[in-house]
Amino acid sequence: MSLVIDSITKRFGPVTALDGASFSVEPGRIFGLLGANGAGKTTCMRIVLDILRADSGTVTWQGTGNLELPRRTWGYLPEERGLYTRMTVIDVLRFFASLYGVPARDATREVEEWLERFRVPDYRDRKIEELSKGNQQKIQFIAAILHDPEVLIMDEPFTGLDPVNVGLLKEAFLEMRDRGKTLIFSTHQMETVEELCESIAILDRGKVVVSGTVRDVKRAMGRQVVRLALDGRGAGEANAASDGAWFTSIPGVRLSRQGEDFSEYAVEAGTDPARILDTALARGARVTRFEIADPSLEEVFIEHVGRRTVAEEDRHLAGSTGAAR
Amino acid sequence: MSGIFPNAWHVARREYLVRVGSRTFVLLTIMLALVGFGLAVAPVVFRALGADKPLEVAVDVEAPDLGSDAIGTLAAALNGAAANTGAPAHFKLSAVEQPAAAEARVRDGQLDGLLTVGRGTGGDLVFSYLTHASPNSPATLAVRQAASALTIDDRLGRAGINPSDRGVIFAPPTFTAASTDPQDDRDEADFATRASLGTVLVVLIFIAILNYGNWIAGSVAEEKSNRVMELLITAATPRQLLVGKVLGTGAAGMTQYAAMLAAGLAGLLLQGAIGRRFFGDAPAAASTSGLDPVLLLVFGACFIGGFLVYSGLYAAAGSLITRTEEVQQMAGPIIAIAMLGYFAAILGGTTAPDAPWIKVLTFVPFFSPYLVPLRMAYGTITPAEVMGALAVLALGVVLTLWLASRIYAAGVLLYGQRPGLRTIWRAARVAR
Repeated sequence: MSLVIDSITKRFGPVTALDGASFSVEPGRIFGLLGANGAGKTTCMRIVLDILRADSGTVTWQGTGNLELPRRTWGYLPEERGLYTRMTVIDVLRFFASLYGVPARDATREVEEWLERFRVPDYRDRKIEELSKGNQQKIQFIAAILHDPEVLIMDEPFTGLDPVNVGLLKEAFLEMRDRGKTLIFSTHQMETVEELCESIAILDRGKVVVSGTVRDVKRAMGRQVVRLALDGRGAGEANAASDGAWFTSIPGVRLSRQGEDFSEYAVEAGTDPARILDTALARGARVTRFEIADPSLEEVFIEHVGRRTVAEEDRHLAGSTGAAR
Repeated sequence: MSGIFPNAWHVARREYLVRVGSRTFVLLTIMLALVGFGLAVAPVVFRALGADKPLEVAVDVEAPDLGSDAIGTLAAALNGAAANTGAPAHFKLSAVEQPAAAEARVRDGQLDGLLTVGRGTGGDLVFSYLTHASPNSPATLAVRQAASALTIDDRLGRAGINPSDRGVIFAPPTFTAASTDPQDDRDEADFATRASLGTVLVVLIFIAILNYGNWIAGSVAEEKSNRVMELLITAATPRQLLVGKVLGTGAAGMTQYAAMLAAGLAGLLLQGAIGRRFFGDAPAAASTSGLDPVLLLVFGACFIGGFLVYSGLYAAAGSLITRTEEVQQMAGPIIAIAMLGYFAAILGGTTAPDAPWIKVLTFVPFFSPYLVPLRMAYGTITPAEVMGALAVLALGVVLTLWLASRIYAAGVLLYGQRPGLRTIWRAARVAR
């Protein structure tokens, strides 16, 4: 039994935020909800949490409709974060725990444990407004899990965190999963998804364009990726300098990334990736790296959504301004 | 559908503790308590400042034929008229030998006034009055009234009517006002006390609605603007949040009012002690004749009902705005309704408590909190009307809170839009 989102449609006036979206999340797993800005991720989460009502479609967890489920089933970390800034950490957290029926004593013990885990035990009696944004985010995460929810839903949990805190939060995710919790989060950071998620769904303009385990989603692309380095240099460049695109002799191979360290080739289904190695060796090159892999989620995302992710856009933007100068 | 409690209690408890613990609340409460205490001991303070000393008026009689009892006639008229015009308790009159010196004393402020009585060419008396007070102050009006009494007395004398007959002419008539209610044994003083009591109750309710209503709207808007709302709305239902907010803020408001009333009561109780300590005598005991327990009970019900019916609206208004600065703007229509009820009570209710339109407004939930206690203080409402008005008010509270929680449920998720009536309506219809 799992979390099943079935044909959810939600309109806000003329705007269709979700258009028959369906996917399911296996219990005890970490699930990534991907999509460009405005794809419908937040609306989808709000409908699961019953903050919003769908125009049509159903949400069930372990076979029970979400409208019948107790509120404490869910833990929620909203994208827009906020806490009562003039209250102390312990008071805020005990307040939210009390709304879920957690006794103050249990809440206090749990809070102290989590503050310890996040390496900020002395924040217990500090006012929220005295904390940095990153630390407020940790408090918000604790607020989402204090009542021991079965499903944890987090909207962009990693934005605004420094690498150290991202690491701490990832550890917390894994800890929650090991406790048997189901985690769903949205993000633009594909590396994080690759690292944490067993399964994903990609939303585009309110529709689920692809969903399933990360491996299946990648395999469904029908192609593989070869990473190749010759003489310790980027193979593409090395060869472009001599006699151009030597790999064009192999059908179904396309240079997809050319770097100083290595080059990446997209290999269509039906083509044996080993042919690249054979061809390179036949040309007398010294191969220092050869790797066959599935396409990255970044590629999967771009292929399905047809647009760059935000991270990609930023990089692109930075590159073009650099060129203009 | 989850029940309202215990989550509403948790929300109320947090709201109350944060509110009562804030510095502004503590300062405001101390200030209000001081005001309450100050008002209660005001009579003693006024005495200490000499505000209740008799007004000293010098009379310069320049009409030699005027009888020597002219000053006596004036004094009688003045101190008799004082009760009707609300002028200070009494006047002290003295005859003047040297008008210039008396005039200087008036200008110095040693005397309150100099009344010069002469005789004009037509034979009538002519008065001129020198004073610091304004021409239409109660004291000046009383002097003017006394002057006309003296003029009439003088005219009668010149018409040949002898002094003893003139006394008969000026004797007050026998006049009894009988109430249609045989049980009603209140005298004029009772009515005066109750009238001012009614006004005070209306003002207390009005201030509570505006002030604490504003707290609620501000607090909801703040939760929205700092985005705590997203967490709250997942943890609790809109109804729990709304009811908790109203209860918590209401309790904080009650705390403040209780502090003010307790300080006022302490002031009343200490009046005697302060009087004895500083003046060697106790002032007349504060009148509590208008304070019957039933009136206080109904007032309490109206206070709470009025607060609830308006605070629902304020919470809904707060849920529709994104920034706390917009609270005043959004609360405008609510303030207008509250003002309408207030002025209906203060202007209409006190002058014509029996008028049909006042009776109708008594049964409108937004106005009954003012009008029921007011009309009760005036004794112009039947027990059945009180019960009916309170029942309608209770119904109004339930309906307003229900509607408000729907608007609230929809409003808390609207960000950055300037919500029109259509948006609100559409959102409220689809809300949980």
